[in-house]
Amino acid sequence: MTFDDIKESALLAFSTVRANKLRSALTILGVGIGVVTLTFMVSIIQGLNKAFADQIEALGSNTIFVSKFDPSFGRTRPTSEELHRKDLDVDDVEAIRRESPSLESIAPIRRKIAVSVRHLDRQSDSPILFGVTPSYEFTLSQYVGRGRFITDADLSERANVCVLAQDVVRALFPYEDPLDKEIKIGGTPYRIVGVMETLGNFFGQSRDNSIFIPLSSFDKFWRDIEPPEVIFFVIVRPRSRAYVKPAIDEITDILRRRRQVPPRAPNNFGISSQDSLLDFYNQLTGATWLVLTAISFVALMIGGIGVMNIMLVSVTERTREIGIRKAVGATRADILWQFLIEAVVLTGIGGISGLFVGEVASLLMNKYSPLPAFVPVWAIFVGIGISASVGIVFGLWPAWKAARLDPIEALRYE
Amino acid sequence: MSDATMATPPSVVEAGALEHGDLLAHDAVPAALISMRDIWKTYQMGSEELHALRGVSFDVQRGEYMAIIGPSGSGKSTLMNLIGCLDTPSQGRYWINGKLVSAMDDDELARIRNKEIGFVFQTFNLLARATALHNVELPLIYAGISSADRHERARQSLASVELTDRMTHRPNELSGGQRQRVAIARALVNHPSLLLADEPTGALDSHTSVEIMNLFEKLHSDGNTIIVVTHEPDIAARAHRVISIRDGQIERDERIK
Repeated sequence: MTFDDIKESALLAFSTVRANKLRSALTILGVGIGVVTLTFMVSIIQGLNKAFADQIEALGSNTIFVSKFDPSFGRTRPTSEELHRKDLDVDDVEAIRRESPSLESIAPIRRKIAVSVRHLDRQSDSPILFGVTPSYEFTLSQYVGRGRFITDADLSERANVCVLAQDVVRALFPYEDPLDKEIKIGGTPYRIVGVMETLGNFFGQSRDNSIFIPLSSFDKFWRDIEPPEVIFFVIVRPRSRAYVKPAIDEITDILRRRRQVPPRAPNNFGISSQDSLLDFYNQLTGATWLVLTAISFVALMIGGIGVMNIMLVSVTERTREIGIRKAVGATRADILWQFLIEAVVLTGIGGISGLFVGEVASLLMNKYSPLPAFVPVWAIFVGIGISASVGIVFGLWPAWKAARLDPIEALRYE
Repeated sequence: MSDATMATPPSVVEAGALEHGDLLAHDAVPAALISMRDIWKTYQMGSEELHALRGVSFDVQRGEYMAIIGPSGSGKSTLMNLIGCLDTPSQGRYWINGKLVSAMDDDELARIRNKEIGFVFQTFNLLARATALHNVELPLIYAGISSADRHERARQSLASVELTDRMTHRPNELSGGQRQRVAIARALVNHPSLLLADEPTGALDSHTSVEIMNLFEKLHSDGNTIIVVTHEPDIAARAHRVISIRDGQIERDERIK
């Protein structure tokens, strides 16, 4: 089988495809749908993965989350045992800051899910209220853009000052400068001292709908509200990525001691890093990946059966042609290759058009839907490779049938 | 089925004797272009055996123009398929151009057909979707000739049957006589040892038949070896030697010119 032979067979295959336009188009469509499914599925998963990795990075990579129970990924709600645990407190934070050499900074945070804020006649009920300390900025890598952040003085004076994130600014001060204006949070007046930089979205959800006030001021009003409406947690920033694991170990030791956990008993608090978030995410998409691959596989199988069907018809129709070719010297391998290449040309066209449609679909999806989609380069090669393999697998039996035809019988075929 | 076709083949002992000893040594590679020795072709029809050929032996020298004639059912089609290496005999040995083809497998036979034999069929057997030029190129494709050479040789071959102006036409754009000339050009393009024609005028009117038979005569005078299989006596009469087949055996073998 020389390159010239392959070229010859491919040209012949294209002319056969042209000669049976409708039939070929339907077969190509079958394979195309399979490849579109595959490409589309890969692009969604890859898009989600990429977006997630970016977001994790943006959330402040390498930070450690400590609270009285683990954030409930994949679970609907915390257990009542978890809810009744003793909260962490400022003394715990102070102990960790003093005793853990691996950490660079630590930020205690109390958070209320939704507060109502108003400025004159404008109001918003959705912002998340954070009671924070000055270390928040550096620990979470979220910085004030204009004005200033919460200071130690604010904290000790329990000052009624606040820093707004961009969504809140847009909702309450669409046309004016918010600095030094006064807003009412849950009915209490607060003076705006700063405005945060924009953070952007995390899976379609804005991260800029926040208000920051001093932790001490927060505690005046909302300290005793039960979770999940108000929760207290601690974010720790280790010296670098390499210190994530040691920091977790150190903090675990400190908290077990302070919360008097008996040896061998499980922690009565939660501690996790962004890595554990990633782990959970990978588990989740791993399962999805498997399901979507199976679906694509079934779609490709159906396309392949279409190819086999049409190739069997083609072999029967061209029995006499096969007889002629054999009479003038075509070997079984020559005939086998001719029909195999024809099948691969069919599925190849299907594969390339499928990839094209899949690519366009994922571009549109990126543009017009909140779901990110992304076709990696390897998926293009895999798509072409898989569609060619479908041609080989499903074209083999018809091609073998053609190759085995007896030339005398084939020449007599009407 | 006649008694004659049901006659017994030579016993295994007799056939074995042919395969052995000194007899084989001196006739191992015959000098003739075609050499058939005691060829049997047996088909199993249910529980019965049908002997289409019953011990046929003959030689054809290079440059001969021979006709094989016989009524339908005589075994001449079977003989043609064997001569054309489309099939192998049940017993006996067959050499073409010094090669023992009776023991070859399918792919070896395909190569022999490609190299040694040019077929001309009653119904032309051209590829309907291909041009005359491409039809003529077909044997060269399987001979592994590069496309530039192929084009040139196919062109020359079409020119030799005076079809230079029809090269890009498809079979359905050609007359019966022109189609048969394309088929002859295809048969000749790889310079075979033997031109084998099966009822070459069977689908043509009498005027065109004469034209084609004249072409065969010219090809013969150019030095080609030709075997024509036919049931028409006047077509056979154009040849220089006629073998008559009846009931699977050679009834007569006569030189007429």
